[in-house]
Amino acid sequence: MKRFIAGLGVGVLVIGIAIAAVSAPLRIGITKIVEHPALDAVEQGVIDTLTAAGYEEGVDVEYLLASAQGDFGTAMSIAQNYQAQNVDLVVAIATPSAQAAVEVFRGTDVPIIYGAVTDPVGAELVQDATDPSGNENVTGVSDMIPVAAHLQLLQDLSSEIEKIGIVYNPGEANSVVLTEMALAAGPDLGLEIVTATADTTANVPLAAQSLVGRVDAYYVTTDNTVVSAIDSVLAASEEAGVPFLMADPTSLAQATLAAGFDYYEHGLTVGQIVLDVLSGVGTDEIPVTYQPSAQVHLNLDAAARIGFEFPAAVIDQASTVLYGDVIWQRQDP
Amino acid sequence: MAMLWIHAFEQGFAYGIAALGVFLTYRILDFPDLTVDGSFVTGAAIASVLLVQAGFDPFSVLLLAFLAGALAGTMTGLLNTQLGITNLLAGVLMMIMLYSINLRIMGRPNLSLLRVDTATRIVNAAWSPLGVFAILAFVGLLTFAIKFLLDGFLRTELGFALRATGDSESMITAQGVNTKTMKILGLALSNGLVALSGALVAQYSGFADVGMGIGTIVTGLAAVIIGGALIRSQRVGWMTLSVLLGSFVYRAAVILALRYGYVVGFEASDLKMITSLLVILALVVPYIRERRLKKVSAC
Repeated sequence: MKRFIAGLGVGVLVIGIAIAAVSAPLRIGITKIVEHPALDAVEQGVIDTLTAAGYEEGVDVEYLLASAQGDFGTAMSIAQNYQAQNVDLVVAIATPSAQAAVEVFRGTDVPIIYGAVTDPVGAELVQDATDPSGNENVTGVSDMIPVAAHLQLLQDLSSEIEKIGIVYNPGEANSVVLTEMALAAGPDLGLEIVTATADTTANVPLAAQSLVGRVDAYYVTTDNTVVSAIDSVLAASEEAGVPFLMADPTSLAQATLAAGFDYYEHGLTVGQIVLDVLSGVGTDEIPVTYQPSAQVHLNLDAAARIGFEFPAAVIDQASTVLYGDVIWQRQDP
Repeated sequence: MAMLWIHAFEQGFAYGIAALGVFLTYRILDFPDLTVDGSFVTGAAIASVLLVQAGFDPFSVLLLAFLAGALAGTMTGLLNTQLGITNLLAGVLMMIMLYSINLRIMGRPNLSLLRVDTATRIVNAAWSPLGVFAILAFVGLLTFAIKFLLDGFLRTELGFALRATGDSESMITAQGVNTKTMKILGLALSNGLVALSGALVAQYSGFADVGMGIGTIVTGLAAVIIGGALIRSQRVGWMTLSVLLGSFVYRAAVILALRYGYVVGFEASDLKMITSLLVILALVVPYIRERRLKKVSAC
């Protein structure tokens, strides 16, 4: 009897280990450079996509979450920790965290999926945006916003809009790329781009004020420093009596109009790439994905404050409207 | 896990060079110098630009980064000694100015080194018999070479004058030493080391970013304070060793918090609290020890 029980015990143990080996949950490490509403939304979007696809947290997949809290040395430590813990896949949010992950996982077959990176080729995360064959273990989604289309949208608002003011932080890589795109696209559209720089959140009000009277419209891209003080840009634009286009719909309440995508949507797209890679598609088969965004959002309350009326053509494009402090969604016919 | 300890040592040494720079101003010269948050990036920027755009070899750029940092430190010294700006403010002004200068050097806020041959990558390939220890061996050798050079310098007559400037300025002036020159020299040396560290860290991490210097003064001071609590000695060799040890303990704490923090309920957002608590601990332990000694002697 004793031997039977011992045998049974060993048997159970062996089966247990076998089950554990078969169903060991997937380990996904998510690294981001800092806590920030947009970056947190990307993280949440990735997790939600996987959950919706049937990856139950704690059963099928285990998430390791870390933020470098703005410290670049810690970004390296996070990537190294993920490597030591043998994660199966890394999701890297924002350029510095992605660069650290690529450096640490160089030459391994652990896939690195980046998000919230504007210029993955410029940051040298990947070699080529369209031909992924040389991109090794790295792929992801760019949060590049269609700057030229946004400038055109401003032009559609009124024929009197000729000078566009952009407030940005010259220390943010993503913001510099977008501002340079605006400066390049402006002349082709017959627009003059006037820039004002703010290196810290505290300097944003001053920079925004410096453009009053010099521009016909304000435009702010996904600049983290400026977005943190976005109310001051709205205040300046209202003082000047000109419309203010924000390239992030989550800030619609603090702008005259917004275009682009919100970062939760971006996270969903990143999550979709993660699913593709988990299903066996190679990272060197997936080119750089660009976040689709064609939606326009109007803040009628803010427009009324400066006595501005949106032309019918722009209203027809709008997918959401903020009116009387309520967000109205367009119902598809 | 063993690999994580190796990384903690690599980072501890690489940032340890910057901590030696902070040690030089904070402990030796008694000059709280905030220039380092800027000069760390200056080193990284100079090294990256020369590597990527001018094709320099990754080892000589470390030396050039040192010189650029020394220049920045000299400027802070001149602001303080020649224009009479207080030490704290001179450092802050130079740090702010360096932000713009660093952007000018790099031409953009983030410069990737992922596709060039960096020092750590070359060493990793060339010293392959050492396996996973190759980068640690390189960074360790470099750091200890700098430590012994610094020890040697502080034992020379000039080094003694530098130390005396921090200890008792009026006394050393009476000895006929120009303390202004000593301060400039100390600041140049300190920021040179910090910039060299920045150049090394950029190559180790695979990129330079204009924001990477934020907190250099804090982590540097943390290393000096933690080290000082662990090794209590007034001898130069032990003091510099304690700084390197402190730098390692700081990085190890970050890695341990990342690796095991969740076990005790820490969340990702608690990291800075953990590292700050470590520094508080390092400050408080010697204080309590001293107070107990005083009580004993009072009896």
